[in-house]
Amino acid sequence: MKKNIIFTLGIILFSISIGFSQAKKPTLMVIPSDVWCNQNGYMTTYDNQGSITNVPDYKRAFQENAEVLQVISQINGLMSERGFPLKNMESAIKTLESNAAEDNMRTSKNSGSEVNESPIDALKKVAKADIIIQLTWTVNKTGPKKSISFNLQGLDAYTDKQVATAVGTGEPSFSAETSVLLSEAVLAHMDNFTETLQTHFDDMFENGREIIVRIQTWDDWDGDLETEYGDEGEELGYIIENWLDDNTVKGRYNTTDMTENMALFEQVRMPLFNDKGRAIDARRFVKELSDYLKSPPFSIPNKLVIKGLGRATLILGGK
Amino acid sequence: MKLKFKYYFLLVCLISFGFNANAQWKKNKANEDTKIWRYDIECQGIAKKGAKLVKVWSYSKNPKHAIAQAMKNAVHGIIFKGYAGGGQGCTTLNALVTDYDVAEEHEAFFDAFFEDGGEYLKYVTAATDGSIAPGDRLKISKREYKIGVIVSVQTDQLRKRLEKEGVVRALNSGF
Repeated sequence: MKKNIIFTLGIILFSISIGFSQAKKPTLMVIPSDVWCNQNGYMTTYDNQGSITNVPDYKRAFQENAEVLQVISQINGLMSERGFPLKNMESAIKTLESNAAEDNMRTSKNSGSEVNESPIDALKKVAKADIIIQLTWTVNKTGPKKSISFNLQGLDAYTDKQVATAVGTGEPSFSAETSVLLSEAVLAHMDNFTETLQTHFDDMFENGREIIVRIQTWDDWDGDLETEYGDEGEELGYIIENWLDDNTVKGRYNTTDMTENMALFEQVRMPLFNDKGRAIDARRFVKELSDYLKSPPFSIPNKLVIKGLGRATLILGGK
Repeated sequence: MKLKFKYYFLLVCLISFGFNANAQWKKNKANEDTKIWRYDIECQGIAKKGAKLVKVWSYSKNPKHAIAQAMKNAVHGIIFKGYAGGGQGCTTLNALVTDYDVAEEHEAFFDAFFEDGGEYLKYVTAATDGSIAPGDRLKISKREYKIGVIVSVQTDQLRKRLEKEGVVRALNSGF
């Protein structure tokens, strides 16, 4: 009798945990586009091994341009009202700087050692989000009349796909100031932007999160993706594809590239929840492939590297 | 004398009943027009945050009914119809409800929402004190008027109400 009650309670709690599971929420951040930075003189140059490269100087844009702050603030406010507060790029840059300063000064009380940081860790210290909202506007002038061309693009940071958009040119005005026209442009376009973003999320809930999976190999590994396993002698590349067939939503993925050393799978639709009903991201999803390849008959040691919610790389042949 | 009074009283009753029935019939006809989406909606410029400024063209034999029906039509239009963009800085607005199966599932809610004096009135206000511009009062046939009324619809509040009712999904639902 007691066992039955415990079993029933267990079932109820399990059902509740599944019912209340929430998918991993993507982070969004508005950034001024390269075009806007270039047109407004917020670029900086550096010597990239002999080639002069222009990159946007976001910090200077935020410090010197009040209009960009106004537009980003307005977009952030409207998105917050929809229950989707955005990361603020200006604050993210400041936090990165202060964290870097703290990390440089930090030493262990016991041994005096410094905080570990590999070159890859240093490269990853940039302001990032899962969906980048790229913002561009230009002020058009025809005689005394002014109008604003406004473009908002929601870009998936991992698949590079445009997942949301709102673009258009406002009504020309003789007297309105640029800040007023910008405010009107944001109000006019945000509904369309959130609607296309909603369509993207609806698709994600129906067909799974779209991610990128890369397979690479260490150069000291004695195997490759053409190594044959099992009685049927199937190549490792096909074995990985079979695993993706079985574990993606409706078996949806594309093999974009496959050589003996690397494979690239795009448009991989991973489920949002695992068998236990827990929300998962690309890391958790590819961890299952990692465990599968570590186990017999393959016994391939491997290293899992991630980039946010939507990109994972498995490097075969060691840690 | 007494008989004459009785006769007049009966006549007055009959006439007033006739007027009432006629008025009710016209109101029902106007509601019926909304149900079959017999109205036009167009954007009238950028409204304040969270709202949309629209002109609704309603059809009726009686201009008074068309004006009264405009508010209902405006809310109905924002929920089910949307509008095309165009002049005055307007961008295209798609309907809040695009899945009509979901709308049918919530038929009882919408019937109560759109009944006369219903909840829809919370989300709409007249933008021009109810006055109609001369060009917005068109007699399109011998017995029918087309009346254009400018109203402001609180679209953000309206969306939140529909999200609460489960008619539309919130942007953050599922996360």
